[in-house]
Amino acid sequence: MTPPSMLDIRNLNVALLNGRPILRDVSLTVAPGEVRALVGESGAGKSMIGKAVLGILPRGLKVTSGEILLEGQPLHDLRPAARRRRVAEVAALIPQDPLTALNPVRRIGAQIVDPLIKIHGWARPAAQARALDLLHRVHIRAPERVMQSYPHELSGGMRQRVLIASAFAASPRLIVADEPTTALDVTVQKQILRLIRELQQETGTAVLFVTHDMGVVAKISQQVSVLFQGKVMEDAPTQAVFDAPDHAYTRALIAATPSYADPERPFSPVPQSLIAEMSAALAMEVRR
Amino acid sequence: MNAQLNSRSLPDPSSTAPAPLVSIRGLRLSFPDQANKPLFGAAPRIEVLKGIDLDLPAGQITGIVGESGSGKSTLGRVMVRLLAPDTGTVLFDGQDIAQLDEAALRPLRRDLQMIFQDPMSSLNPRHRVWQIIAAPLRRFGLGGTRVEAVAALDKVGLGADFAERFPHELSGGQRQRVGIARAIALEPRFILADEIVSGLDVSSQAQVLTLLKTLAREMNLTLAFISHDLSVIRHLCDRVVVLYHGEILEQGPVAEVFAAPQSEITRTLLAAIPLPELDAHWFDD
Ligand SMILES: Nc1ncnc2c1ncn2[C@@H]1O[C@H](COP(=O)(O)OP(=O)(O)OP(=O)(O)O)[C@@H](O)[C@H]1O
Ligand SMILES: Nc1ncnc2c1ncn2[C@@H]1O[C@H](COP(=O)(O)OP(=O)(O)OP(=O)(O)O)[C@@H](O)[C@H]1O
Ligand SMILES: [Mg+2]
Ligand SMILES: [Mg+2]
Repeated sequence: MTPPSMLDIRNLNVALLNGRPILRDVSLTVAPGEVRALVGESGAGKSMIGKAVLGILPRGLKVTSGEILLEGQPLHDLRPAARRRRVAEVAALIPQDPLTALNPVRRIGAQIVDPLIKIHGWARPAAQARALDLLHRVHIRAPERVMQSYPHELSGGMRQRVLIASAFAASPRLIVADEPTTALDVTVQKQILRLIRELQQETGTAVLFVTHDMGVVAKISQQVSVLFQGKVMEDAPTQAVFDAPDHAYTRALIAATPSYADPERPFSPVPQSLIAEMSAALAMEVRR
Repeated sequence: MNAQLNSRSLPDPSSTAPAPLVSIRGLRLSFPDQANKPLFGAAPRIEVLKGIDLDLPAGQITGIVGESGSGKSTLGRVMVRLLAPDTGTVLFDGQDIAQLDEAALRPLRRDLQMIFQDPMSSLNPRHRVWQIIAAPLRRFGLGGTRVEAVAALDKVGLGADFAERFPHELSGGQRQRVGIARAIALEPRFILADEIVSGLDVSSQAQVLTLLKTLAREMNLTLAFISHDLSVIRHLCDRVVVLYHGEILEQGPVAEVFAAPQSEITRTLLAAIPLPELDAHWFDD
C-alpha cells in the first residue's frame, strides 16, 4: 500500500452564500517531499484552495461539499478547535500579502519565535536560535537587526523572506506557499527557490506552491494543477506539462510568459476568445 | 564601489531627451537604527540612499531595478515626498520639494501619486471599492461619483460588479488593480508604481502595462516604475536605473542597458530569470 498523500483534496466545492461557485469539484494531492504548482490567472481561486485547506476561508465563503485529508485523516471529522490545532501542528502558510500578515506593532523576532514556543513547545533560546538561523538562510543581511525591527522598517522583499523563514521554522510537513516570491528580485528568488528545495529534501516537506509564473513552475515543481474559474483544467507532471501540454489554456499560459530577451515579441495574454469559450463551457456545466 | 561606476551612471543630458519632470541631485537618506540604540541618547543611523543623481524625463517611463533592500522603495517614497531626505534636492517641475512641509505640499499632492507594493494595506477595509476610488477624487474637488469610479475600474479590467465589493472580497491581483484604478482616476502628472504587477498574471500584467503606456503617451504622465521583473521593465520602460546598496550603478535607455549591461549586478539579474522551460541544471552554480 502506498503511504497516504500529505494533502489530499477531493471534489472540493466552495461557494459564496448566494451560491456563486468559487471552487468547482477541485481535486488534487501533494505527496510528502513533492512540490505541486497551482497556477491560473488572477481570481481563479488559487488562494481560496490554500485557505480552505488551512480552515481560514473568509467570511461569506463556504465549503459546500468535498473533503480535505491531511496525512490520510479527513479534517471534517474534527471539531473546529481540534482542526485548528491539527493544522497548526503540521501545516504552515506563506501568505500572499506580507504586510498585512505581519503584526505592525510587534518585533519580527517575537513574531517568528512565539508560535514555536506556544504551538510547538520549544524552549525560548532554541526558538531564538532557530529564527536567526532561518533569517540567515533566506539571505537576510543583518538577521540580528531584523529580529529587533518592526515590519515597517523592512523592505517588501525582506518582509516576504521573514514570512518564508517563519513558515519553515517549525519544520512543517505541509507548506502552502501563496505567491511566495512576488516581492523578490530574480537573484533572491532563485536563492529562495533553492532553499525551498533544500528544506524540502532535508525534511520531506510537501509544498503547494501558488504562482502565476510558468518559469518558476518549470524550475520548482514536480506536479502542476492548472486552475480556471475555480475548476482544475489540467493536472499533470511538470515534465508532461512543458513537453506536451494537454489543454489549450495551459499552452496559452506558457506562451504568455514574457521574454526580456525578445522585446519585439509583445506581451501575449491568453486570448479572449479562449477565455470566453471556456467560461461558456463552465456555465453549461452548471446548468446541467 | 566607485570602480564600478561608469559614464552611464550619470544622467545623460542628451538634447533629444525631454526636460525632466523630476530631477534629483545629491540625495542622501538615513534611518535610525533602533536595534542598536544605546540606553541614553540617539540611535545610530543607517544610510540607505548614498548620494543619488537622477532625472525622470517628462512623459517617459523610468524603470528602477535592484536587489531587495537596495533602497528602491525608499527612493520612490522621497519622489512622492512621503519621506524627506537628509540632504539633496528634489526638483518637481523646477520647484525644490525636498524639505517642503505638508501644507506647502498640499497643492502638489494630486500630481504626486503612488501605487503601493502591498495593496491590502493601502485600501480602507471598511469602504467599498467604488468609495475607495472616489474618496481622493472628492478630496481634490475632482468629482467622485460612483460612475467615475466604475469608469476607472473598467480601465484596469474590472467590471462594474466589483464596485460594491469590499477589499477582503477581492483576490490579490484584483486588489492591486483597484490601487491602480485609484491612482489613474486622478490623472496625476507623476505616478510612482512600486512592484505593482509582480502579483499579477500575464494577462492582467499586459492590460495594466498597456494602460500605463497609453496614459504616459496620451496624458504626458511621467512614471517611475519599480520592479524586479526585468521582462516587464524591458517592455514598458524608456529608461532604466540600476540601484545597488543605495547607489546608482548604471542608468540609460533600456535597450542599451539590457543589450550590454555594464555592471555585474545587472548581468546577474538577467541570468537569474527563470524561463518557462525544463532545466534540470538551473539550480547548479
Ligand atoms: N469574500 C468574498 N466575497 C466575494 N468574492 C470573493 C470573496 N473572496 C474571494 N472572492 C472571489 O473569489 C475568487 C477567487 O479568489 P482567490 O483569492 O482565490 O483568487 P486567486 O486565484 O488567488 O487570484 P490572485 O492571483 O489574484 O491572487 C475571486 O474572483 C475573488 O474575487
Ligand atoms: N522606516 C525604516 N526604518 C529603518 N530602516 C528602514 C526603514 N525603511 C526602510 N528601511 C531599510 O532601508 C533599506 C532599503 O529599503 P527599501 O524598502 O527601500 O528597499 P527596496 O529596494 O525597496 O527592497 P525590496 O525590493 O525588498 O522592496 C532596507 O535595509 C530597509 O530595512
Ligand atoms: Mg491569490
Ligand atoms: Mg520595495
